Amino acid sequence: MSDTTTEMALDLEAKRLSVVDPGTRVDVQGEMGDEERVEKAMTNFAKDFGRVAATYMEACIHCGACAHACPFYEASGNPRHTPIWKIEPFKQAYKREAGPLAFFYKTFNLKKNVTLDELKEWQELLYDTCTMCGRCTLICPMSIDIATLVGMARHGMFHAGLVPHELYTVTEKAKREGSPLGATPQVFEDRIEWMGDEHEVEMHVDEDQADVLVLMSSIEIQKYPESMAATAKILNHMGKTWTFRTDGYEATNFGMLSGNTAWQKEMSMKVISAAEKIGAKLVILPECGHAYQALRWQGANMYGKPLPFKVQHISEFLSDAVDAGALKLKTVNTTVAFHDPCQVSRRGGATSAPRKVLDALGVKLIESKSGGSMNTCCGGGGGVITIHRADTLRYKVMGAKFRQLGETGAEMMVTSCSNCRQNFDDSGEKLNWDKTMNSLLELVADNLVEEAEK
Amino acid sequence: MKEHALTLGEELRRQGISRRSFLKFCAGVASSMAIPATMVPAMAASLAQARRQSVIWMSYQECTACIESLTRSFSPTVENLIFNFISLDFQHALQAAAGDQAVEALRNAMEENWGKYLVLVDGSIPLKDDGVYSTSHGQTHLESLREVAEGAAAIVSIGTCACYGGVGAARPNPTGAVGVEDIITDKPILNVPGCPPIPEVMTGVLTSFLAFGELPAVDELKRPSAFFSDTIHDRCYRRPFYDMGKFAKSFDDEGARKGWCLYELGCKGPITHNACATMKFNQGVSWPIQSGHGCLGCSEPDFWDKDSFYKPLSAGQWGSAEGIAIAAAAGVALGAASAVMSRRNQDKISGGK
Amino acid sequence: MTLLDFARGPAMQIAIIIFVVGILWRLVGVWALRQKKDLSEARSRGAWIGGIKGLFAHGWPYKPFVSKVGTQYIVGYVIHLGLFIVLFFGTPHMLFFADIVGFTWWTLPGSVITFIAVITTAALFFALAKRLVNPVQRLISNFDDYATWFVTTLPFVTGLATNANLWPDYEFGLAIHLLSVWLLLIYFPFGKLMHSFWFVVSRYTTGSRFARRGGMA
Repeated sequence: MSDTTTEMALDLEAKRLSVVDPGTRVDVQGEMGDEERVEKAMTNFAKDFGRVAATYMEACIHCGACAHACPFYEASGNPRHTPIWKIEPFKQAYKREAGPLAFFYKTFNLKKNVTLDELKEWQELLYDTCTMCGRCTLICPMSIDIATLVGMARHGMFHAGLVPHELYTVTEKAKREGSPLGATPQVFEDRIEWMGDEHEVEMHVDEDQADVLVLMSSIEIQKYPESMAATAKILNHMGKTWTFRTDGYEATNFGMLSGNTAWQKEMSMKVISAAEKIGAKLVILPECGHAYQALRWQGANMYGKPLPFKVQHISEFLSDAVDAGALKLKTVNTTVAFHDPCQVSRRGGATSAPRKVLDALGVKLIESKSGGSMNTCCGGGGGVITIHRADTLRYKVMGAKFRQLGETGAEMMVTSCSNCRQNFDDSGEKLNWDKTMNSLLELVADNLVEEAEK
Repeated sequence: MKEHALTLGEELRRQGISRRSFLKFCAGVASSMAIPATMVPAMAASLAQARRQSVIWMSYQECTACIESLTRSFSPTVENLIFNFISLDFQHALQAAAGDQAVEALRNAMEENWGKYLVLVDGSIPLKDDGVYSTSHGQTHLESLREVAEGAAAIVSIGTCACYGGVGAARPNPTGAVGVEDIITDKPILNVPGCPPIPEVMTGVLTSFLAFGELPAVDELKRPSAFFSDTIHDRCYRRPFYDMGKFAKSFDDEGARKGWCLYELGCKGPITHNACATMKFNQGVSWPIQSGHGCLGCSEPDFWDKDSFYKPLSAGQWGSAEGIAIAAAAGVALGAASAVMSRRNQDKISGGK
Repeated sequence: MTLLDFARGPAMQIAIIIFVVGILWRLVGVWALRQKKDLSEARSRGAWIGGIKGLFAHGWPYKPFVSKVGTQYIVGYVIHLGLFIVLFFGTPHMLFFADIVGFTWWTLPGSVITFIAVITTAALFFALAKRLVNPVQRLISNFDDYATWFVTTLPFVTGLATNANLWPDYEFGLAIHLLSVWLLLIYFPFGKLMHSFWFVVSRYTTGSRFARRGGMA
């Protein structure tokens, strides 16, 4: 593909996924004619089109309620940020090309052909101002899952070569090197060793057989490596046979975020194969929202049959461990506000898991006004955090989030998504937030009652 | 036929009718026909000067109820004198003469008054198969009408059949029956529809013709506007109950006895233009709605074919069961076509299954 | 054939055929589409229960949204309930359906129906005004939104006018009113009026999909 995008150097020291020179942008990829781009956009959008998506396309009554659930619209007040408007060209294309009345719309030219200019214009709406958090579905009187439609629209955009510069760069890097942030197998191995030494925990890498395969997101490998130590500590504490695998460790899936289903499948298959190879019964996903979406809910669909192992987000694993009495925890005497990662709670169904864990830690959880499954998104997911162009609005979204969390009056902030966490760190620095976002996993690991202490 | 020489005024005086009651009659007719009161003296003067009018009454495909209605209302009043005053030269149900004699009388009347006589028609005229379905004295009614109409000053169609084809023209209309206005187009025609029509309407029309020498003003269906501009519903004594939303649910329920609106029972009053509600029948004794039955809409064209008399106006007309079945079958077929088309489209767009 | 005969007969028949066939066409056209099976392991069985719950859960906004869209929902309810009551409990309307189903039912007095129709019409005008003024709605609106408003409001206006005897005669008013309803029926399958069906399908779909995951929708 085009050189310009891959030439863009990543700034791995920054608080968030970042490029060294954000001023230079190339938001169009590949060599294609205008018409070809539009056609590719439409074909790939329609590829996974089925009954469900068609129902959603048909059901919208243009009431505009979704705007009020969207953190981006709420922050900007820009009507263009109305969730359903973000898929407008695709809605139009559906009516013209695919819906039951397509012949009618086409014959009388009632819905115009979508143009390349429109698609270019919509890139910002589809990538910069949507994290696919799905909060709009909650408010929609028709219950339309707009996030899924945005995901499908991204398929079209990717194949038309219309992905924002940075997102394309990291995706392409992930495809080439196996990790979007340069966490190659070598880097991964080095960091495991480093953390093992630093925290004096026993690490398992590339074991031939293990009950549990542990995945890591490159954000954790590169920015929050303590996660690795924390996970290892807990698994050892519970006496599990587990391992990291250098041939299948990356939990993030930028193929999914950017809209390339083939790459998404390739990325998922790496970890699925690794898990199959070692005969894993359980794959534990790290504190990463979209990884949960990618493997827990889309993994089997990529694999083409039900997965031969169980998939759990780390918070679910911890919750089960609490239930089983497998974790000995110290009591933490503080008040906590929990930020739910949208893909794990609302869209993942694991809302109660972190609450059970926090309860086991003895902290007092103060729910924010719109908490739990109705949580307001931090504005960094879905690849938004990679896009520099989106920064101004993202900080505004986070401003509202800070206020919401501040209203709880809680002393400690906890989440279980490292992508959310890096967004909190980056925005916190920018907006001088007086708090720090903590990891649920690390909180648990830090408060384990060690054998020796008993 | 000497009486032809007398004017109506002379005739009235001969019968001992006072000028006072004659003026009263004129005022009554004038008010019922919306003629300004200032016109009454002129109308009376003109009417008094009128000579006996030759009238030829042709009965075609009919049931004799129209003439029954008119004769039943006869009683010794000034109104009836109008009927008495005209020279009814041909009416085959009433006249004594029959066969060749009657036809002779008709020929004579036509010859004597060529261009001046008034033709009254009741009954529809079959057109199908050259009109053979209805003949008198070896002549089809179609031919008869054309012949009689040629020398007429004007034609008045009495009853819905003569006006619009009526019962004879009801589906499937086997004789191809039509009204006078569908055959005769070059003469002034006035329609007095109704099954039967109200006698007083006839009186008004004749009086007006005698006084002014021409037919009164008519609406788009050639009905005298004075009697047909309002609907039954507009003037119905049960109307207040309609406005209150009180409806009889059956013909013998509490509501029906209390005089509530018959809309739910299929009354066609709201779409029927006639004067029944104000003039009534049999000298104002009663009329259908007063006797407890909804209006059938008998004075409207095609009233037989407007679905059930007992179906409320707001209900639809569904046509035949076959039609519904065909539509349903077509619907199912189109539904299946939709399914096939949408799958094919899906395959085309996504490039295979 | 008079205008009323046309309205009660052929116009109605054509409108109903388009209405029924059009709805079938559109529903079947979507339902016939293939849908890839979700192979992921369900968190909980009985997703259909979530689907049923979904039908009702979206009948009123969740708490955090009430202050933002509560009024809009109320206006929506006024329009929908008004339409429902006038349609099924107005005497002449009931008689139309009674002719089809073969039995009659209790109806509301004309004055009450008129009152409800006036309120509903006012709500429709309010909704239109909001659509024209609110930047979000204005942006996302297209021809269909205004056409739908028009064909929905017209029967109310013509019905009220017929009721108030604002036409030259009842016959004409009734005919115009009927024709305005047939216009609604003819337009129905082509626009967003179809949401009277989709809302069930869509709410159920989302409800069951997310119940399967244990998530919230």
